[in-house]
Amino acid sequence: MPPSFKPYPFTPRHYEGVVPPLVDGRDPVRRPVAIVGGGPVGMTLALALARQGVRSVLIEADDSVCTGSRAICISRRSLEILKRLGAVQGFLDKGLPWTGGRSFYRDTEVFRFSMHQDDEQSLPPMINIAQYQIEQFLLDELERHAELIEIRWQTRVTGIEQSAASNAGGGATLDLQTGDTAWHMEADWVVACDGGRSTIREALGLKLTGTTYEGRYVIVDIELDSDRATERLAYFDPPSNPGSTVLVHRQPDNVWRIDYQLRDDEDPQTAVEPENVMPRVQSVLDSIGETGAWSPIWITVYKANALTLERYRHGAVLFAGDAAHLVPIFGVRGANSGIDDADNLGWKLGCVVNDIASPDLLDTYSDERVFAARENLSYGMKSTEFMAPPTFAFELMRSAVLGLAEHHPGVRPLINPRQTHPIAYADSPLNRVAAKPTGSSTAPDAVDPFTRGPAPGSVLPECRLERLCDGSEEAIHLTDLIAPCFTALRFGVDASQDTAWQRMWDDLASRAIPFRVVTVVATRTEARADSAIAIDHTGRLHEALGATRGTVYLIRPDGHVLARWRKGSAAAVQRALTATLTMQHTETLS
Amino acid sequence: MTDSDLDRVYTALCQTLTTEGEAQAPLYLARLALLFITELDDAQRALSLIEAARLPASVAPPIAA
Repeated sequence: MPPSFKPYPFTPRHYEGVVPPLVDGRDPVRRPVAIVGGGPVGMTLALALARQGVRSVLIEADDSVCTGSRAICISRRSLEILKRLGAVQGFLDKGLPWTGGRSFYRDTEVFRFSMHQDDEQSLPPMINIAQYQIEQFLLDELERHAELIEIRWQTRVTGIEQSAASNAGGGATLDLQTGDTAWHMEADWVVACDGGRSTIREALGLKLTGTTYEGRYVIVDIELDSDRATERLAYFDPPSNPGSTVLVHRQPDNVWRIDYQLRDDEDPQTAVEPENVMPRVQSVLDSIGETGAWSPIWITVYKANALTLERYRHGAVLFAGDAAHLVPIFGVRGANSGIDDADNLGWKLGCVVNDIASPDLLDTYSDERVFAARENLSYGMKSTEFMAPPTFAFELMRSAVLGLAEHHPGVRPLINPRQTHPIAYADSPLNRVAAKPTGSSTAPDAVDPFTRGPAPGSVLPECRLERLCDGSEEAIHLTDLIAPCFTALRFGVDASQDTAWQRMWDDLASRAIPFRVVTVVATRTEARADSAIAIDHTGRLHEALGATRGTVYLIRPDGHVLARWRKGSAAAVQRALTATLTMQHTETLS
Repeated sequence: MTDSDLDRVYTALCQTLTTEGEAQAPLYLARLALLFITELDDAQRALSLIEAARLPASVAPPIAA
């Protein structure tokens, strides 16, 4: 009897493809930013731009959010980004949080891992959630900003032409197709978020380079009613599927993801036939004690790639997400690294469009995110080499590791799935520009004097704090204080009582530079009821950041540290910001 | 040795073993074992590791002789 497939427990809304009024086949309205591709990356970018007050048009070939569960793991770093952009609540309500997993060799548990989790955290290290839900929550938020975000559904890009002066912001023209209508749109900046088979990348003749792996995995989503805990389960050479590797993940709404590796001698096309998949899944469920009825929802086959473009900026065209890099599925860096791309690009492009930053700032998007992609690729490749051994040697060594792991803890770290983690831009040009705005190596702030805490380029750690509100203490977290703007985190001294800081604040405001000061005090008696004054009642933030009275951390709109001073001054903060936005560090700035 | 050191050494070994080829793998691993033994310079420890590395009776050798 052929298995009966069930649909995903989700009904997408469908949208019409609407062409704006055209003049000679051309939309007469030139857009500041056109985003090609309405997946998680394109939508996060539209949102990040809207937070900078920047208009964008999102061009999506389909008529709805995606239909498959696809990317299912969203990391704490991604949740932090979504929180800062004001879109995290749906994710937390719907997603299944989890903190670790277990690996088995044959029938023995040989490894247990847990992702970083402590009392300071406000967000789980990972949630499982289907990609259609990810896109739906983002879309809901985008639709709340309809005055800034225009979505063109059912519109395909068929070509792109960059103007000769595109490096200086001359823009590009997109050739579009909506239904039967071919039309053109001009934009100052085009961001390609159009996925692994990017049309824009193809049209510009750019190639991804790196490694392609041969090992194949079948990916199956099933519906199964079970109250098993959410964790990552990995089975190597299990009795149910000898010679194979099996992964099991729980998703919301009784959907389960089962991945299993194909042997080299199995034909991928035949392997995804339901009559071949059903018994394999049944034997996996039997072996883990799941006896309930289940139905298949979706079956596909996956092959790992570890590829990237050399640069993510090409004149007026920028690349983000899978259009820029393809990272292996193992370690869940795909959607998560794309969301990080969008967050990095959002504020930089926003500042350029708002005319408060040099277009050179966009080159640092490429520098930082290519660096991040290479980090992600190196971890992803190590995971892939373990999960889908590319040669007899990796296979042989893996058998040795798994066989020894039960009694020899020393080899267990090799089984660690190396889940995605925040990337520090240790060598970013922005760190140098911000730390040395005068170009003088003897400037007092030229050398980072800290012995602890996040160095420039790193993300802030999370920390529990308090705030005074109506005479009582309100429990908050550091991430509640970081908005999508530049933030000076100033320890001990209330900026509103300080005329130099007030003058800087007024000056930055008059130049429309998005900036705020957050004061962190050590005790309740030093605090006032003010949303920008936090109390580090446990002292842990001071400790984690190596901060004392007068210390200043300058935070970028994407939550990375831009610069820090043991004793910070308004002038130092202002110099660092100006140097960052103008990308000038060789001449003295007033 | 940190986890990432272990990772690095493990990957280097896998890659070298790949280059040596499947036919040469047992001989390569034997040579490597001898180098580790002489480097270890501790007969008791070496004998106990030789015992520890034995495969359980149920496990077929991964490489056919």
